[in-house]
Amino acid sequence: MDLRQAVLFIVALLAITPASTPVWADDFETRLSPSPLTEGTRINITGEGRAIASLDGRKLTVSGNFHGLVSPATTAELYDGLGIAIPGPKAFDLTVTQATSGTISASLVLSAKQAAELRAGHFYVQINSQKAPDGNLTGWLLPPHPFAGEDVPVAGAGFLPQLDVTQK
Amino acid sequence: MKKTLAGFMLAAAIVSAGAIALEQGPFVAEQSRSGRALYVANCAACHGPELKGAGEAPALAGTTFMAAWGNRTTEELYNLVKASMPYGNGNSLDADSYRRIVAYVLAANGAQSGNIAMTGNEAVQIGRIADGKMPAGEAAAAPAETRARTPVATSYPPGRFGVTVAGALKSFDPVTDAMLAHPKDADWLMYRRNYQGWSHSPLSQVTSANVKNLQLQWSWAMNDGGASQVTPIVHDGIMFLSNTANTVQALDAKTGELIWENRIGPAPTRAYGATRSLALYGDKIFVPTTDAKLYGLDARTGKIVWQTVIEDAAEGYSNTGGAIAIHGKILVGLTYCNRYETKHCFISAYDAGTGKVAWRFKTIALKGEPGGDTWNNLPDEFRQGAETWIAGTYDPDLNTTYWGTAQSKPWTRASRGSGTGATLYANSTLALDPDSGKLKWFYTHAPGENFDLDEVFERVLVNHGDSKDVLTIGKVGILWKLNRVTGQYEDSAQTVFQNVFGKIDPKTGIPTYRADVQAAKVGDWISSCPGPAGGHDWPATSYDPKTDLMIIPLHQSCVMMRAEPMEKKIGVGGDAGSQRLFEMPGTDGNLGKLAAYNTKTMKALWSFQQKAPFLTGVLTTDGGVGFVGDFDRRFRAFETATGKTLWQTRLPTSVQGHVISYAVDGKQYIAIESGLGGGSPVGKPTTLMPGVHHPGNGNAIFVFALPPEN
Repeated sequence: MDLRQAVLFIVALLAITPASTPVWADDFETRLSPSPLTEGTRINITGEGRAIASLDGRKLTVSGNFHGLVSPATTAELYDGLGIAIPGPKAFDLTVTQATSGTISASLVLSAKQAAELRAGHFYVQINSQKAPDGNLTGWLLPPHPFAGEDVPVAGAGFLPQLDVTQK
Repeated sequence: MKKTLAGFMLAAAIVSAGAIALEQGPFVAEQSRSGRALYVANCAACHGPELKGAGEAPALAGTTFMAAWGNRTTEELYNLVKASMPYGNGNSLDADSYRRIVAYVLAANGAQSGNIAMTGNEAVQIGRIADGKMPAGEAAAAPAETRARTPVATSYPPGRFGVTVAGALKSFDPVTDAMLAHPKDADWLMYRRNYQGWSHSPLSQVTSANVKNLQLQWSWAMNDGGASQVTPIVHDGIMFLSNTANTVQALDAKTGELIWENRIGPAPTRAYGATRSLALYGDKIFVPTTDAKLYGLDARTGKIVWQTVIEDAAEGYSNTGGAIAIHGKILVGLTYCNRYETKHCFISAYDAGTGKVAWRFKTIALKGEPGGDTWNNLPDEFRQGAETWIAGTYDPDLNTTYWGTAQSKPWTRASRGSGTGATLYANSTLALDPDSGKLKWFYTHAPGENFDLDEVFERVLVNHGDSKDVLTIGKVGILWKLNRVTGQYEDSAQTVFQNVFGKIDPKTGIPTYRADVQAAKVGDWISSCPGPAGGHDWPATSYDPKTDLMIIPLHQSCVMMRAEPMEKKIGVGGDAGSQRLFEMPGTDGNLGKLAAYNTKTMKALWSFQQKAPFLTGVLTTDGGVGFVGDFDRRFRAFETATGKTLWQTRLPTSVQGHVISYAVDGKQYIAIESGLGGGSPVGKPTTLMPGVHHPGNGNAIFVFALPPEN
C-alpha cells in the first residue's frame, strides 16, 4: 500500500464511521488559517500554518508552525470554545516565535472537563500579531482527517466533524 | 476572535447621548468635498444618495452604520472600500479616489475635517470622530437623472434600448402544456429543464468514454456589468439567452448566429441580482426583469407583446429568480423585500396571453391571518423578507407548484425583534395551487432563522415507488425530504459541517437552535457554520433518475455575525448584520465540495473537495456524465456514479450560471456561461481566497460538442 492508497483508506474509514459515533481520538490537528476576515481586515490578516496536539491522560502537548504573517506574531493562545467553531474563553498561553513565521508549542495539563471538551472539538489555537491583535491565524483542533487531494472522490460525505450535535 | 461588547457599547453611547466630544477626522475638507462626487459616481446607485443602503448594500450613515463601524478604524474602512468596491470591481479606482470617498462617508456621519490629509493608514476609531448624524446638505443628492443612468457596478457598454437587432425565426412551434410536461430530449424549455427541477438531460451521446474529446463549437460574448448567472433556454434549435441589462437574444443553437436582440433595459446599476432564467409558453418568451417587471416577448421576433409591473422598482424590489409557465399562467417571485413597508413579498401569476395578474400569494403572515402569531406580535410593517428568488417547480399530477422562501428580514432575531417566533412563511416550502394561488400546505425548515441562511432554493420532485417526495437543500447544508402530497417531514441528511442547530427532531425535522443563538442580543458576535454563502446556494443540484443520485454543489466557510440595531420606521431597512469570515473547521481551506446523495436512502455515495467553490448548477445526463463549473474558471465533466473528473477546461473568468444540454440535428451540445457578479457565493470566496484571480469582465456563453468522428 503506497502513501496515496493509505490516505484514501483512512479517509474511507472515516467516511463510513457512523456520524453519531463520537471520535474519542487522542491526537488532534488543524490548519491555521487567516481569520476573522473582512475585505477591510484581510490586508493585515494573512498567513497560514498547521498545529498538532496529543493528549496523554491529561497532559496535552501542542506544536505547530506558521508563516506569511504581515506583522510579527505577538501571542498564541489555546481557547476553550463553546463548540466546534464557536469561540469561548482563553484557556492557556502557548509559546510563539515573535516573527512573521515560526513555531508554537506548549506542554499543558488539562482538567478532566477540559480534556472532554478538547475531545469534543471545542479547543482552538489562535495566533495574534501586531497588526491583528484579536486574531490572525485560527484553527480548531479536531481528530486527524487526511485530505485525499483536490478533486479526488472519497466514499461518503467525507469528514464532517459533527462531534457533539445530535444526528440521526 | 473572542470579542467584547465594550466597543459596541461605546459606539452606542456616542450615538445615543453624544456625550463625548468628537475628535477631528483624519482627512482634509477638500478630500470629503471631492469625495462626494466620487461617491455619486461609484457608490450611490447601490447605497443611495442619502447613504441609507438598499437591497444587499448596507447603510453608510446613521445609527446602523455607527453600530457596525463605531468600534472599527478608518484604516479598516478604507481597506474594505478599496479592496471590494465598487461591488464586484474592487481596486478599480486609484487610491486617492478611495481616500476621498471614505473621507466623504466619514463627513456624512458627522466627522469634522482636520489639517492632515488621509493616507488610508490611520487607525483612528470611527466612533471617536463620527456620531452618525449627517450634517445638513451632506447627502450626495446627485440629480435624479444622473443617478438613474449611472451603471456603477462594472462597465456596461452604452447603447440604445429596444429591439437592437431585428430578425425573425424561420419557424416556431408554440410551446404547449404537454411539451412542458414531457419535453423533447433535444430541448431545454425551462430553468431546470423539467417541471420536476431535475437539471438532467436524457441525451446520451456524450459518455464517460468520449467526453475527453469535447471541443468548443462556438462562443458568444455577453453584456458585461451587473450580475450574470444565466440559464439558456433551447427550443427546436433556437437558444434564448438573457444577458444583463435585461437583454434577450435569440441565437441559432447550432452555429451561434444571432437572430434577434431586444435590449429591454435598464442598464445594471449593481453587481448583484442576476436574472437566472426565462420561460417559454405558446408563442412567447417571458422575461422577469431586474426592475421587477414581467415582459412577454414574441418568440419569433423579440418584440414586446405586453409588459406588466410586478412591484415598484423605485422602492427597491427586483426579480432574479426567473419564472415557470403552468396552464397558461406565468408564475414569478419577488426579491429585495427587506425594508420596512406596508407592502410585503409575494409570488404572483400572470396570464400568458395578456399579462393580466391572475393571483398573488403573500409570503408573510400578517396579524389575524393563519400563522400571523409567529412574529412576536410585531406590527405588520415590520414583518419583512420571505423573498422568492428561485423559480418554483411543478407536479402536473398533483397540480401543485412548489416554492421556497428566503429568511425573514432583518437577518437576526435580535434585530427583527421576532423573539423565538417562526416568522411564517419565511424559510419554508410552499405548496400552492397554480390556478388559484391557494396554499395547500407549508413546511418551515428553519423557524425564526438567524444568520442569513436561506432555504429558498430549488424544490426537486422525485418519486420512490408510491412515495412522492420533494427534496431541497438550503444554506445550512441539510438536505431535506418531505412528502410532497402532505408536506410531512420524511428525512434529512447533513452534507457539510454545521453548528447552527443543536439538534433536529428525527420525527418532525424541526431543528433547535443552539442555546447561545437563542440568547443572542444586538451587538453579540455569534458563530455560524456554514456562513451566508451556504452550504448550498443558488448553484442548483441535479437529479439523475438512472442512479437516484442528487449531485449537490456545496460551499464550506463560516461566519461570525453580529446583529445590528434596526430602527423600526417605515422606509428603513436592510439586513442589519455585520460579518467576519473564517474557514470551516476540518475542511483544510477547501471551500468547494461536490457530493452525491442517494435520495431514497439519503446517504452520500461520494464527495470531493477543492479550494474553489462551485458557481454553477450541476448538469447530469443519460450518458453517465455530469458537468459543473467553479470560481477558479474551471469547467469540468465528471462521472456521475463515481465523481471522477473526466475532462476539464478553463474559461476566461469565473464559470457561473447553469449548465444545459440540448441537441440540434441529432448532435448533443453542452452549454455553460462564464459570468460575474452576485452575492455571497462570489463575495465570500473573494475575501477568503485572495490568491485566486479572474478578470473583472468576460460574461460569455460557451458551447461544446464531440467532434464529427465521435
